[in-house]
Amino acid sequence: MKPDPITIEILRNAFVMAAEEMNAALIRSAYTPVIYESKDCAVALIDSHHRVLGQSSGVPLFLGNLEACTLGTEEMYGRSVWNEGDIWIMNDPYLTGTHMHDVTIFAPIFYHGDLAGFAASRAHWLDIGSKDPGVPMDSTEVFQEGVRLPPTQVMRGGEPVRDIWSIIETNVRFPRSAIGDMTAQFAVAAIGEHRLGALFDRYGRDTVEAAAQEIFDQSERLDTEAVRAIPDGVYTAEGVLDSDGVGDEPVKISVKITVDGDRLLFDLTGTDGPGRGPINCGAVQTLSACRLAFKYLFNSHQPVNGGTFRPLEVRTKPGSILDARSPAACQFYFTPLGLMIDLVCSALSPAHPETVPAAHYGDGMIFQFTGINPPTGELFLENEPHVGGWGASLGRDGEDGMIWTLSGNFHDMPIEVFESKFPARIIDYGFRQDSAGAGQWRGGSGIVREYQMTTDTELSLWFERSLHPAWGLFGGRGGAPPEVIINPGTPQEMRRLKTNRMPLREGDIVRCYTGGGGGYGDPLERDPQAVLADLADGFISPSYAEKHHGLNSQPEG
Amino acid sequence: METKLDLRVATDIGGTFTDVVVYDPDTGRYSTAKAPSRADDLAGGVMDALGLVIAEPGQVGSFVHGSTVGINAFLQRSGERVILLATAGASDVYRIARGNRLDMYNIRYRKPAPLLPRRDIIPIGGRIDYQGNELTPLNTDDLRRAAERIRSEGVRSVAIAFLFSYQNPDHEKAAASLLTELVPGVSLSLSHQVATEWREYERTASAVMDAYIAPPVSRYMADLSTRLADQGMPAPLRVMQSNGGVISARAASERPLQTLLSGPVGGAAGGVALSEVLERPNLVCVDLGGTSFDVSLITAGQADSSPSALLEGLPVLMPVVDIHTIGAGGGSLAYLEAGGLRVGPESAGARPGPVCYGRGGTQPTVTDANLALGRIDPDYFLGGNLTLDTTATDAALEDLGRKLDLDRNRIALGIIQVINAKMSQAIRTLTVERGIEPREFSLVAFGGAGPMHAVALAQELGIAEVIVPPDPGGFSAWGMLQSAVRQDFSEAFFRNFADLDTDDLHARFARLGEVAVASLLGEGVDSDQISLIQRLDMRYQGQEHTLTVTLPNGASPDLDDPFTTLRSRFEDTYSTRYGHSNPGASMETVTLRLTALGDVGRPLLQANYQPDQPGNDPSKTTPVLFSTGSYPTSRFNRETLTPGCSIDGPAIVEEATATTVIPPEGSATIDEFGCLIIEAPPL
Repeated sequence: MKPDPITIEILRNAFVMAAEEMNAALIRSAYTPVIYESKDCAVALIDSHHRVLGQSSGVPLFLGNLEACTLGTEEMYGRSVWNEGDIWIMNDPYLTGTHMHDVTIFAPIFYHGDLAGFAASRAHWLDIGSKDPGVPMDSTEVFQEGVRLPPTQVMRGGEPVRDIWSIIETNVRFPRSAIGDMTAQFAVAAIGEHRLGALFDRYGRDTVEAAAQEIFDQSERLDTEAVRAIPDGVYTAEGVLDSDGVGDEPVKISVKITVDGDRLLFDLTGTDGPGRGPINCGAVQTLSACRLAFKYLFNSHQPVNGGTFRPLEVRTKPGSILDARSPAACQFYFTPLGLMIDLVCSALSPAHPETVPAAHYGDGMIFQFTGINPPTGELFLENEPHVGGWGASLGRDGEDGMIWTLSGNFHDMPIEVFESKFPARIIDYGFRQDSAGAGQWRGGSGIVREYQMTTDTELSLWFERSLHPAWGLFGGRGGAPPEVIINPGTPQEMRRLKTNRMPLREGDIVRCYTGGGGGYGDPLERDPQAVLADLADGFISPSYAEKHHGLNSQPEG
Repeated sequence: METKLDLRVATDIGGTFTDVVVYDPDTGRYSTAKAPSRADDLAGGVMDALGLVIAEPGQVGSFVHGSTVGINAFLQRSGERVILLATAGASDVYRIARGNRLDMYNIRYRKPAPLLPRRDIIPIGGRIDYQGNELTPLNTDDLRRAAERIRSEGVRSVAIAFLFSYQNPDHEKAAASLLTELVPGVSLSLSHQVATEWREYERTASAVMDAYIAPPVSRYMADLSTRLADQGMPAPLRVMQSNGGVISARAASERPLQTLLSGPVGGAAGGVALSEVLERPNLVCVDLGGTSFDVSLITAGQADSSPSALLEGLPVLMPVVDIHTIGAGGGSLAYLEAGGLRVGPESAGARPGPVCYGRGGTQPTVTDANLALGRIDPDYFLGGNLTLDTTATDAALEDLGRKLDLDRNRIALGIIQVINAKMSQAIRTLTVERGIEPREFSLVAFGGAGPMHAVALAQELGIAEVIVPPDPGGFSAWGMLQSAVRQDFSEAFFRNFADLDTDDLHARFARLGEVAVASLLGEGVDSDQISLIQRLDMRYQGQEHTLTVTLPNGASPDLDDPFTTLRSRFEDTYSTRYGHSNPGASMETVTLRLTALGDVGRPLLQANYQPDQPGNDPSKTTPVLFSTGSYPTSRFNRETLTPGCSIDGPAIVEEATATTVIPPEGSATIDEFGCLIIEAPPL
C-alpha cells in the first residue's frame, strides 16, 4: 500500500537530515584539516538496492556517486558478501572515479538480521603515500600516486581486521591522521545505521521503502520535466586542455548531447586519451561531473536521491581521459571535468540562453611550494588554489575572483596567515585589469597574486586553460588566459604553467595571473553606465573600453 | 513627594511591535505593553510603548534598549557612504572576499553584495611584516591625496584597514591622525580597534561595517537619549550588544558594531537568566515567529557563542551569541511539488500572511493548520486583536487536501507534523555538530508561536521537559533586563604553545584588565561588581579554526602550571566538540580575549509567583485534533493559574501573547517562579 503523502514528506526530509547528521559527525570527528575546515567530504545513506536515500556533500563534485562503490563491490563479490558488522574501505581510482587521497568507507546496514541499506562516506585524507609529499604534479602511473585499495574489509563482524589496518598505517606518511579519519568515517556508518533503524522502527520497513520509491518518483518527475523542456536535438561542443601534465600536446574533450523527449544523453566518446600525465578520471567521477553540470542548470536546489538524474545517460570511451583504466595516473582527475562542465553549458546554450553562463576561468590554478622554514627548521608545504573570473550570463556579469566550479566553500589563504606561516611574502593580490571577457554582460575578472621567496624553496605549478581560455557566448568575448611569470622583467624571466619541484632562490618572484570569465552578448550593447562604472572601478582600462565598447573616454583635444 | 528611582525598563523593537517590559522592585512585579513599531521613526515607537506603561518617567532607574538601527541600515543598505583606505598591493582583499561561494549549485552565483564599490577603496603605500616590523614607511603623499578626495566628495565616514595592524597599529594610527587634521569631523573606523585579530579580509569587512553603520547609530542614540531626557527620564540609556551584555549608549556610539545584533540576543540572554534561576544548566531555546525559527543553546549556564558572525554572507569579527535561524514559521506555506506535499521554507510573510488573516492569502500556512485543528482560538488571537477567518482557512485546506486525497483534518495535521519534523531535525543536526545530546536538555519556548509547537518538538528530540516562561511574547525584552554590562577586548597573540612566555601572557592580560576596569567604572559599574574572564583562542598547528579556552579564575600571577592547565582545558573542549583530541600534537595560541562583566543588579524571577485572580479551572472545553484523534480539550487562562496546579493533557494554555499546546498524555504545572513547566510524554 502506498504511504500517505504526509509520511512520505516527513521521510523525504528525514533522509536528507540523516545524511546531514552523518556529515556533521564526520566533519566533527575527522583529523585532517581539509575535511573539517574545507569540508572536502561527502556522505550518503543508501537503500539495499544501491539507491541514494539522502546525501550530503561539502564539495559540489561529490554528487550522488557513493552508491557506485557499494554496487561495484556487490558486482565483484556477489550479494552474499554483505555481513553484519563489516565495514569496507576503497580508494581505487578506476572504481571510485577520483584520486586516491579520497577514501571511501561504507558499511552494510542490517535490520533484524536482513540487509537494509548502506552508509557510505568519502573524505580527502592528508596523505596516501604518493611519491612526493602533498600532491605529485608529474605522475605517469597510478603506482606513483599512493597506496591503492580495492574494496577491502577493515572491520569484520565488528572486529578490526588488523593486517589491513597495518597495511594502511605502513603505507602513508601520517598514519595517526589516516587511522583517525578512518575511524571518524566508521562513526558515520554507525549513525547511518542508527537513523535508518529508527525510521524503520517508527514507520515500519515496508512503509519506509514504499515511501522511498515515491520520493524517487517525485525527483524523477522534476528532472524529467526539466529535460522535456529542452527542445529535442543534438548539441555539441569541443575544447582542449593545454596538456596531459607531462607532455606538450593539447588534449581534446568532446561533448555531444542528444535530447530526445525525456531522455538526455551525454556522449563523451570523442574525447582523447589516455593521458600520460595525471589528468585521467574514472568513469564514475565523470558521471558525477555530468550530474553536477545538469544540477547547475536544472533543479539546482532539490535534494539528490535515487530518483534524481534518471533521465541522464552518460557514455564514455574506455581508456579515454574520462574513463581511465589502469595504470593511467589520476591525481588531477578533476582538470578535464571543469572544462567538460563549461562545454556542457555552451552546448546547451542555444536551448537555454536564459540560464546558461559563458565559460569560467576553468581550473584550480595551483601554486605549491615546499622547503625548510628557517624559523622552525622544519619541512613546510603549502598548496594554494587560486580564484579567477566566472562566465557572464543573461542579465548578470560574471563574478570577479571566485574559486572554480568544482570547489565549493573554499577560502583563499589570508596574506596575514600566509606570511606568518611560510617563508615568503605576498607582494600583490588584486584584480587583473582587462582580463574579463567583454560582452553585454562581462565576464568576471581574474586576479594577480605575486609571491616573493624569503628563503630557498621548491615550486610546483598546475595552471590550465591557456590554449582554450574561457570563451564567450552570443557574441561575448573570451577572458584572458592564465600566466605565471617567474622573476618578471629580469634576465632570468621564465614562464611556466605546469612544473614539478623547480628550485627557487631567496628573493625570487613568482607572479601568478588567473584568467577572466567569458562575456555574454555583444559588447557594443553593454549599458554605457556599466562601462563607465567598470572604468571608474579600474576593472577595465580606457583602451579596453574603446576596443570592445567603442567608448572613447580620452579627453578631447 | 519623594521620587523613587528604581523602575527597570527594557524595550525591544520588532518588525511589527515594540515591546516594553517594566519591573517594579517594590512590588516584585513585571508589567508589559506593546505599541506598533514605526519604521520611519523607531525612537517614536519606543516612546509610544513607554507611554503605555510608565506614568512617571522620573521613576525610571535603568533603561535597556534593543536597537535595530544598525542592522536595519545594513539590511536596507541605507548606511553611510564609506571610503576604505587599504594597504597598497592588497587593496582588493575586501572585494575578493576570500573567493568562496556559499551556494554550491548556483553557476550564476554572485558574492554577497559588498558595502562599497572598488573605486571607493584607496590604496595607501606602507607595509608592516608579520612580526610587526615596518618594511616600508607609510606613504603620506597617498594619504594627503586620499584626504583631499574625502573632503571634496563630502565623505563623512572612513574605514582604515592595513595589513598586520593587529601586530603593529602605528600606520593605522598615523593615518587616522593625519586624516583628523586634514578632514576635521570625519568619522573613522580603524580595523585594529574594531577587531584586534588577524585575517585581513574579515578585519577589513568588520571595519567597513562599523563605518557604514556608525553615523546612523550615533544619530539614533543621540535622538533617543534626548527624547528620554525631555520626558524627564534620568536613567542612563543602555543598549543590548551582540555579545549578550549591555553597554551605555555613549559607548555604543563609539563602537556601533557591537550593537549590530542587539535585538535577537535578548532571548538568549533570557535563556541564560532562566537557566540560573531554574537551575537547569542546559537549555534549547526556541523562538518561532511568522517566517523564522530561531534556536539558541545554553550549555552549562552559558549561551553558545562565537567570536564572529556572518551577516548575509559578510563576516563581522565580534563576540556574538549564536542564533541559528531556520526557514520555518507560522507563515510557512504548504504546497504541492512533483505530486508531493511540501511545507516551507517559502513563507506567506506578513502580507498576505496566512489565509485566516483575510488579507488575500490563498495558500494554507502552518498558522492555518493550527487554526483548523482547534489549537488557536479564532476569537482570542493576539489577545483578541485579530479576528480569524476560519471559513477561508477550511476552504484552502480542503482544496490542497483534495489534490492529495486527504480530508481537511488530515492535511492540517500533516502540515503540522511535517513542519515539526523539519524543525526538530534541524535542532538535532545543530546539537550533533556541537557534540551535544539533546535528551539532556530542557526546551524553552517563547515568541508568539514557539509554545504551540514546543511539546511536539521536545517529543521528537526525546526531551522530557518544556518550559514556557512568563510572558513568552515579551521574553526577549525581559532577557535584556537580566543582562550585565559587558565589554570584550581582544588582542592577536600568535604563539607556538610550547614557547609561550607566561609572564608576557599575564602582562598582556593585566594591561587589558586595566583598560577594561577603567571602562566599566566609566559605565557606572561599582568596582566590587566587576569581574574579568580571561580566554585564549587555541588550536592544533595546521588548523584554521580555533577553540576558545577559559583560563582558571583569578589566573593572573598564580597560574602554577599554565601549560598543563591550558593544554588539558583545550583538549577537553576539543574532545567535546570533535569527539577526540590529539594528545601530544603541537598547539598554538591565536588570540587572547578578555571579557569584563559589570553587575548592575538584575531583577531575577522570584520564587513567590501568585496570579492576580487565581483560578485553576478551564475557561472552556473545545474539540482539538491530535494525531491520535479528536479530544475534548480544556482551555486554561495562563494568567489565573497558581503555582503547583496540575493540568493533564490534552489541554491548551492561553495568554495574551502565546498559546501553549499540551498533548494527550502530557501534563503541566506552574512553578513558584510563574513558569509553565510541561512534562512531554515520550513518543
